[in-house]
Amino acid sequence: MAIQVEPVPRLRILWGNRRVLQLLVSRDLKVKYADSVLGYFWTILEPLMMAGVYWFVFTQLMDRTLGQEPYIVFLLAAMLPWQWTNSSLRASMKALSKDSKLVRSTNLPREIWILRTVGSKFSEFFLAIPVLVFFAVVNSAELSWYVVFFPLAVLLQAVLLVGAGLALAPLAVLYGDVERLIRILTRLLFYFSPVIYGVSDVQDKLGGVVADLYILNPLAGIFDLYRTAFFPGEWAGWGAVGVSALISFAMLALGITVFRRLEGSVLKEI
Amino acid sequence: MAPVIEADGLGISFKRNRRRNRRLRDLLAGRAPAKRKKKGEFWALRDLSFSVEPGEAVGLVGGNGQGKSTLLKLIAGVLLPDEGRLRVHGGVAPLIEVTGGFVGDLTARDNILLTAGLHGLSKAQIAERFDAIVDFAEVRDFLDTPFRHFSSGMKVRLGFSVVTTLDEPVVLVDEVLAVGDRAFREKCYDRMGELLSGGRTLFLVSHNEADLRRFCTRGLYLSGGSLVSDGPLEDALTRYREDATRRRRPPRPTE
Repeated sequence: MAIQVEPVPRLRILWGNRRVLQLLVSRDLKVKYADSVLGYFWTILEPLMMAGVYWFVFTQLMDRTLGQEPYIVFLLAAMLPWQWTNSSLRASMKALSKDSKLVRSTNLPREIWILRTVGSKFSEFFLAIPVLVFFAVVNSAELSWYVVFFPLAVLLQAVLLVGAGLALAPLAVLYGDVERLIRILTRLLFYFSPVIYGVSDVQDKLGGVVADLYILNPLAGIFDLYRTAFFPGEWAGWGAVGVSALISFAMLALGITVFRRLEGSVLKEI
Repeated sequence: MAPVIEADGLGISFKRNRRRNRRLRDLLAGRAPAKRKKKGEFWALRDLSFSVEPGEAVGLVGGNGQGKSTLLKLIAGVLLPDEGRLRVHGGVAPLIEVTGGFVGDLTARDNILLTAGLHGLSKAQIAERFDAIVDFAEVRDFLDTPFRHFSSGMKVRLGFSVVTTLDEPVVLVDEVLAVGDRAFREKCYDRMGELLSGGRTLFLVSHNEADLRRFCTRGLYLSGGSLVSDGPLEDALTRYREDATRRRRPPRPTE
């Protein structure tokens, strides 16, 4: 029988190592921003460019039928959290192999390497928020009191991303194809998530069963919740958020199980 | 006193080939995949049972690929056993891949802070020991140099210096003494002597019999993944020497 560490002591060990986690995340930021003057710029460049392209296509080339005005604010409010999702999923698959020497030479609870990845990507997301604020101010978008739900949206997304990361990190080490597969799936996920359109667009245009199925994508409820800060009229309500919460925590449970089961094999491979 | 390390039927297996033939079924099945007997699987260690009391100095003896490093990694908690139990009471200061925790792009100063932090020292503790770490490693003039520009000797010196300042009750040493010049080696010996007299438990892997005799009283002799002898160091060394002259073993992959 392998060493079985019960979930609760495991959590306690992780909590005991929160300072180490903080150290790792701040080191990531340091490495990212110390070396290049453009460090910050690189973080916001991708979401900004993508938002710019969609804004151009949907408002300048075509007549916008999706989302709300100001569309650039509508886009960015979901594009930034999307960027957190996308970069977290990708980095999670390398979380154990990229710093394999560190992983092999320290006896930390291995979950910390995934928490560190999601945490680093979150700090980048957080630092990109001024960009959204800038566009909101320029376009005089009004901030509603719904902004108080921002922390809830962050929490749900963090739970989801940590869960997915815990499952993907060991799988990517053991199966070479996982990384390629996930790259394709995340690209699809982008279009199946309410970034260039809103959840209410799906409900209005498709309705019924399709709309019900649509909110099974946990990102739907989460992104919608971020957006209510600027577009309370668009909000699809708590139903989608509830589904997101349920799926996010289920993902976390799955992630913990997969990670626990594969940990021993992964340590032999890295 | 209660033992610091207890191993009971300890075993770990590796795959001989590089192909990863893990199946989704293993993931969903209730039991661990390694329990199933598979082709191309070999046990790097099996049925190891021993216990180590606090303050003991244990030398691990055996040829290449007989499981010495694997055992140290299990004790360090960076590998998990496939069968049996291993209990280590208290933390471990691993002098295995000592330079592993360092990041090439960061300066020596940042690396000391990071690695000491990763091994569980608080900010105050690091600040307190920082000068001692730097002086022992003799890198005072290179504190702001990126670690990747360090010579291999300097790297090992810094690694040894950081890990031996940890307060962990168990110290694992894997061949690090082979590196470094004579003067530094003497310093390492002194440091290890200090750790031992301070009541730490020491696990030493070395091919150098003089090193082993210097520190260890007890010897574990590993051969073919089994514990062949456990007793006074001299016994282990004798068995090892006899085996080595009697036959030439085919080389085995370490990991």
